[in-house]
Amino acid sequence: MAARYAAARAVRQLASAAPRRASPFVCQRWQPAQIERRLFSVSSALKEKKYTEDHEWIETSADGKTVTLGISEYAAKALGDVVYIELPEVGLEVGAGEVIGAVESVKSASDILTPIGAKVVEINGTLEKTPGNINKDPEGDAWIAKLEPTGEPEGKIMSKKEYDAFTEDA
Amino acid sequence: MAPSRGFLRLWHTPLRPSIIPITRLSSQRFYQTFTEDLANPTKKVQSYVSSSSDPYLNLSIEDHILQKSSPDSTILFLYTNRPCVVIGRNQNPWLEVNLRLLNAATAASDVSYHIKSEPPAIGNVDLVRRRSGGGTVFHDEGNVNWSITCPRSDFTRDKHAEMVVRALRKLGVERARVNERHDIVLDLGEKKHAVDAQDTHQTPYTVEEGDPRRPLKVSGSAYKLTRGRALHHGTALVASPNLHIIGQYLKSPAKEYIEAKGVESVSSPITNMGLENSAFEKGVQDAFATMYATTGSAPVIETVGKEYLNIPEIKKGYDELLTPDWLFAQTPAFKLRFREQNAPNMGPPNIDMSVRHGIIESCSLENVSDDTNRKLMGTKLLDVKDWKVLLRELLGKDKEPSAKGVHDAAGTTLQRLLPIPDVPSRNEEHL
Repeated sequence: MAARYAAARAVRQLASAAPRRASPFVCQRWQPAQIERRLFSVSSALKEKKYTEDHEWIETSADGKTVTLGISEYAAKALGDVVYIELPEVGLEVGAGEVIGAVESVKSASDILTPIGAKVVEINGTLEKTPGNINKDPEGDAWIAKLEPTGEPEGKIMSKKEYDAFTEDA
Repeated sequence: MAPSRGFLRLWHTPLRPSIIPITRLSSQRFYQTFTEDLANPTKKVQSYVSSSSDPYLNLSIEDHILQKSSPDSTILFLYTNRPCVVIGRNQNPWLEVNLRLLNAATAASDVSYHIKSEPPAIGNVDLVRRRSGGGTVFHDEGNVNWSITCPRSDFTRDKHAEMVVRALRKLGVERARVNERHDIVLDLGEKKHAVDAQDTHQTPYTVEEGDPRRPLKVSGSAYKLTRGRALHHGTALVASPNLHIIGQYLKSPAKEYIEAKGVESVSSPITNMGLENSAFEKGVQDAFATMYATTGSAPVIETVGKEYLNIPEIKKGYDELLTPDWLFAQTPAFKLRFREQNAPNMGPPNIDMSVRHGIIESCSLENVSDDTNRKLMGTKLLDVKDWKVLLRELLGKDKEPSAKGVHDAAGTTLQRLLPIPDVPSRNEEHL
């Protein structure tokens, strides 16, 4: 328990001064009814892989219940050799636009943000042992986390084609 | 007629103290509008300098700049900290730092664990974990930290190190250049054929790789990237009086026994630039203004300081940096594997321990009872004040001298390799 709390706190610290809505911890304690919260059925538009301006991707599972999140090939290339990945703890609840983890490469700590409010249901533990995998297959095997959405995506969400154009401009 | 050097010196000495009251006044006036100014989209180029030497405050002001500044602004921030050891975000303090030296000035009771070297006489040294990546560095009053926050789309790892090199060359440090690790080094070769004066990556003194005259590092870099913004900060050894003892602080007795995930430091030979802090600060401010002259109007240099703790987000960041969880439990998973090399059969028992999020996940202290080993699992390292005392407690009423001896030996070794230093407390007088 303490471990989960410590790690959750570490992740929260990643987002130290970021604007946030209600704290996920407060929610957990004050609204136990949330356990039975309505699962958002993700709109069909999201089933195709989508990209954010912060270079994350999200993709909805075939059954529409979970969303997988990772960083884009463009981001993995720009970051250089990844040496460590801070993964969230399973059970962590985050709001859209909040920090869900971080990647370290070449002296740089880069935040991973989630475009969708969600609860973390699974993490890719293999990245702890072999963080370099994220340079090899960031949009496949080296996904970061699987999420159970608690809302709709916020901010600019792009198709592969739109994202390619966006990164070409950058 | 030009004033004599003697007069200049007299003139310079009182200058700095007389400035302080004025800057304090101005920073008091401005902290209320600081966040607004940062977010103001018309202020595209901003420049700040801190009057505080508190590393936790300066890092929190810096983070506030990163989080709050408008998306396409570029901001310079200069600060100088009191003596502290700063580890990277994903580093292991037990591996990177000689933790027992940090409190050496006050922890006189620790002599039973035989600190081999004399404690350096510079008083208490703070332990800090920063939010950016990279390796461990030592800060003191002769080290000026420079930091640039800019749009991520403009960001390269070298461009602002290059800016600092341009500043240094203007100040006469013509051996300075940026190396392949994005650090600033001074070349030590003899002067060869001229190189392009604009090239910040070589000097006439650059030697071939493999030459024993290895360049000396004067500035190291680290970065934090978030939400379309990039922070690049660097140290600058301007005139550190502690060069000869920095190595002692950065040499951990546990180094050969710890296998850690995360980031390990790369140590480099260092030297001072040999400038006055104020000259370096002015040089960097000028180089910054020149570099961004076409981006926005020339920035007025504002002074920030301890009053900025009144800004709630800065206070929050400050408190977070001082939490034991951030300092220690943030450490990536690691394994301690201790084997006495010199006297394998007579020395202290072998130790195998794995730690995750600062909690002992598995533990095997050789010859120590299974019961004790079992009880250690799940222990939070932060809760351990003294390993020897803890192991005695776990041994309980079993008074058999041999069991006691083994527990004590394991406790002494653990106290040497995994000490849990006092967490720095907020000390107003340091601000």
